[in-house]
Amino acid sequence: MRWFWLDRFTEFTSGTRATAVKGVALSEEHLHDHWPHYPVMPNTLIAEGMAQAGGLLVSEIYRFSELVVLAKFSKCVFHGLARPGDVLTYRAVVEQAKDAGASVTVTAHVGERPQAEAEIFFARLAADSVNRPEGMRLFDPNHLLHWLKLVGVFEIGTRPDGTRLRPEDYGFN
Amino acid sequence: MRFWLLDAIRSYEPGVELTATKNVALTEEYLADHFPEFPVLPGVFMLEASTQAAAWLLRLSEDFAHSIICLKEAKNIKYVDFVPPGQTLTVTVSVVKQDERLATFTIEGQMGDRPTLSGRLVIERYNLADNDPAQRTTDEDLKNYFRRIAKLLLPRELALPIR
Amino acid sequence: MVTATKEEIFSKVQEALVDALGVEDEEVTPAATLQGDLDAESIDFLDIVFRLEKAFDIKIERGELFPEDILTSTEYVEEGRVNSAGIVKLRERMPFADLSKFERDPVVQKLGQQLTVQDMCNFVEHKLAAAA
Repeated sequence: MRWFWLDRFTEFTSGTRATAVKGVALSEEHLHDHWPHYPVMPNTLIAEGMAQAGGLLVSEIYRFSELVVLAKFSKCVFHGLARPGDVLTYRAVVEQAKDAGASVTVTAHVGERPQAEAEIFFARLAADSVNRPEGMRLFDPNHLLHWLKLVGVFEIGTRPDGTRLRPEDYGFN
Repeated sequence: MRFWLLDAIRSYEPGVELTATKNVALTEEYLADHFPEFPVLPGVFMLEASTQAAAWLLRLSEDFAHSIICLKEAKNIKYVDFVPPGQTLTVTVSVVKQDERLATFTIEGQMGDRPTLSGRLVIERYNLADNDPAQRTTDEDLKNYFRRIAKLLLPRELALPIR
Repeated sequence: MVTATKEEIFSKVQEALVDALGVEDEEVTPAATLQGDLDAESIDFLDIVFRLEKAFDIKIERGELFPEDILTSTEYVEEGRVNSAGIVKLRERMPFADLSKFERDPVVQKLGQQLTVQDMCNFVEHKLAAAA
């Protein structure tokens, strides 16, 4: 299993909001354990999809250069189950952001049907944080850029004034 | 990958609580993405392990009465520490209250004696036949599947009677 | 906003704590301690700050509600206890909190453990008055 829980962003507005989609497919191996005879996408992986949409939005606020980790789901509610063939749409909105961390609210829908909503908190681990192991980093910048490109951040991403986000603006080359 | 986020049930008291463990190993593929430079068990997998622990407690306490047992709500799920490869996550779920459809649990995750996560879960349980009687056979297939898996997860001294 | 009554402040603080900590309304009494009774951890304080800012339309700077900088300073802390200069500084920074109990045994960890819901209401009241 790879760890990509959104397929593509369809909107990404710096510091503000993002929309992403995820198709649920019977070719995903884990659906055959969850469950045999009645495959559904595990709700915790919908939570991860919402966290990835919100987390990349938050990481951009910190110029994609800081350690941003999932710290807390204040709330996460699910309505029913997502089945193969469903397409989930995640909509993430930045609520607040500070040096120490940021909060987002995210919804998930299948078509018009609400599937889930969450309030998610991300901690920015400062260099001097006691929670930050020495020398810790999550990604080589090239790996992170690769992920951002896979999910279309630089194809679709804009600033609130409409100008495009470019990798070179974040020190990627 | 298989979607079994628990390796073993360590102990349980029907209707009250269950403790289970999940070993984290670098053989797990998703750790290559989460994260390339810092492999750790994803936070939502700690949540999934807890959800599965709660589901097993319900199945074992209610003699597999429901085919569908799923996460309805997660509240105040806090991540305190990372669980890297080589470590074991131990989760304990305790029933707070329950009715016919919903059951609320407190969850606690530990790595050795250090806390890794805490929070509350609401788990929903039902049968597909409740809404569509034609799906009764799917319910039975699922329940039989979970009975088989229970034998793999339970230590011998807690094993279910053979049926 | 600045005319908020004590009851209004308490009810909004209560709502923020219920949402941030996943506790029940009735657990959030004025005397309840945030870390002891309500199980608040460090990540929760940021969550609480965000909710208070939104509910009261105020800005709360880092260290304002909880002066971690003083508590980690070698100038004000000796052998795990806040010294007299530190106490003066804390009184200055936390005019909203009742520090009398802490002063009798100023072990650093106890400050957080003793912070109550009422202290938090006083903090908000203080902020609103300062903004007026």
